[in-house]
Amino acid sequence: MAYKDFRDFLATLEKEGQLLTIHDEVKPEPDIAAATKAMSKLGSETPAMLFDNIYGYTNAKVAMNVMGSWPNHALMMGLPKNTPLKDQFFEFARRYDQFPVPVQREETAPFHEVEITENINLFEILPLFRLNQGDGGFYIDKACVISRDLDDPDHFGKQNVGIYRMQVKGKDCLGIQPVPQHDIAIHLRQAEERGENLPVVIALGNEPAITTAAATPLLYDQSEYEMAGAIQGEPYRIVKAKDSNLDIPWGAEVVLEGELLAGVREFEGPFGEFTGHYSGGRSMPVIKINRVYHRKNPIFEHLYIGMPWTETDYMVGINTSVPLYQQLKEAFPNEIEAVNAMYTHGLVAIISTKRRYGGFAKAVGMRALTTPHGLGYCKLVIVVDEDVDPFNLPQVMWALSTKMHPKHDAVIIPDLSVLALDPGSEPSGITHKMILDATTPVAPETRGHYSQPLDSPLNVDKWEQRLRELLQ
Amino acid sequence: MHTCPRCESKEATVVSKSPVEGAWEVYMCPVCIFTWRSIEPETITNPEKYNRAFKVNPADIPLAENVPALPAKYIK
Repeated sequence: MAYKDFRDFLATLEKEGQLLTIHDEVKPEPDIAAATKAMSKLGSETPAMLFDNIYGYTNAKVAMNVMGSWPNHALMMGLPKNTPLKDQFFEFARRYDQFPVPVQREETAPFHEVEITENINLFEILPLFRLNQGDGGFYIDKACVISRDLDDPDHFGKQNVGIYRMQVKGKDCLGIQPVPQHDIAIHLRQAEERGENLPVVIALGNEPAITTAAATPLLYDQSEYEMAGAIQGEPYRIVKAKDSNLDIPWGAEVVLEGELLAGVREFEGPFGEFTGHYSGGRSMPVIKINRVYHRKNPIFEHLYIGMPWTETDYMVGINTSVPLYQQLKEAFPNEIEAVNAMYTHGLVAIISTKRRYGGFAKAVGMRALTTPHGLGYCKLVIVVDEDVDPFNLPQVMWALSTKMHPKHDAVIIPDLSVLALDPGSEPSGITHKMILDATTPVAPETRGHYSQPLDSPLNVDKWEQRLRELLQ
Repeated sequence: MHTCPRCESKEATVVSKSPVEGAWEVYMCPVCIFTWRSIEPETITNPEKYNRAFKVNPADIPLAENVPALPAKYIK
């Protein structure tokens, strides 16, 4: 079911009624970001947007909110657009288990149509614009950034494809935020210790499988391209860069080849982040662009990021939950039911699990804190029984309301690591974390009065099915 | 040269002009790297109306934290 390229996915969105084309003239600021933010406020089933009449441009097209809803996420996986969220989670988990799917190599790609190596001006090649009022400039924040491990350059899995925020800081310069937990920061560290620049490729406007894989917290030596193949159910197509041994998504609209400059830090930001707060201004590495390719009349895909929920939250919801789920299942294969780590990239996570004995649920919560993603997130872990759907927040609230005893079930662990962007961390990057055990106590934990859980009248399931049919 | 609305240096230059002639220009400040378009609201383009909470003092720029930290050999 793989989408050939970005345009193929947009065509499917249009066919499914999930793409709204805005032909009316819009100003680059504030209209495009404002319209996208407004779209996010209209619910969780909104369409992508394509702007094709932007003031001052003759031929620019900007695509927004491309994966900004659950129907669009379902279509990313080739599922019916009305697939329930929990079903999307289990289908994603099933495909995640198919990893790795070997890649398919190509010699040429559509983005080779136009190539620029002199007088590069990113402001003229891309219809750039401001997202939030306090942003320090114009950003690129949904592109795949590709780099390799310099100490093990032939290890395909250690090649990294990640999504990092990049400020356009000159006609051929970008600032990039590689925080120390990111894989690209390992590559940069290797390069800087050698005193060499780090080759990078930036691919904009990709079909959604690689975007999803690039935003998934994989292990360091796991290939995002081989995960994209698992997600789309067939080999992912890549093509070699010209200036390095990096591999590029075949279907990209625009590709920038360049190098991260060793030993350089330059003022960057602020930028409105997924935490719903601006990051402050900091000094960050700089990328010099040496070569640009693009399709004729490229579509610029961009992502509005701001106060949740926005497209980011849909993009990193299920693909954050599934690795946590799989890693917890490695420890507790017969107990873990499902994981919902969709809140602010998993700063809050909800785990549904069976319990073998008293205290078990707290151990599950502790394990979540020590997963790779948990080291930077999982500030609050809520553990619920196996019959509570962690994606159904009213059910989770019921469990907290009735199963949790604050004296016994609220556990605080002091001074653990968290991502530095967490505005509550103090110092930045350090926070207490909490586990709320909202499971039913089991022996030898016999407190409370839980022996008579409410059942339902007979035949509720039959009636539910019948009513669904009547209501169709 | 144009005045940067954020740090008020006088050194900002044009980095891009609209493909449709005369619609807008984009400026960039070489001091604080602020970038703006001529037709943005005054709260972005006018130094006196720019949000004070987001103003940058050029003297603070060298003090900004390095992310990620620089290896020792690059620290002067």
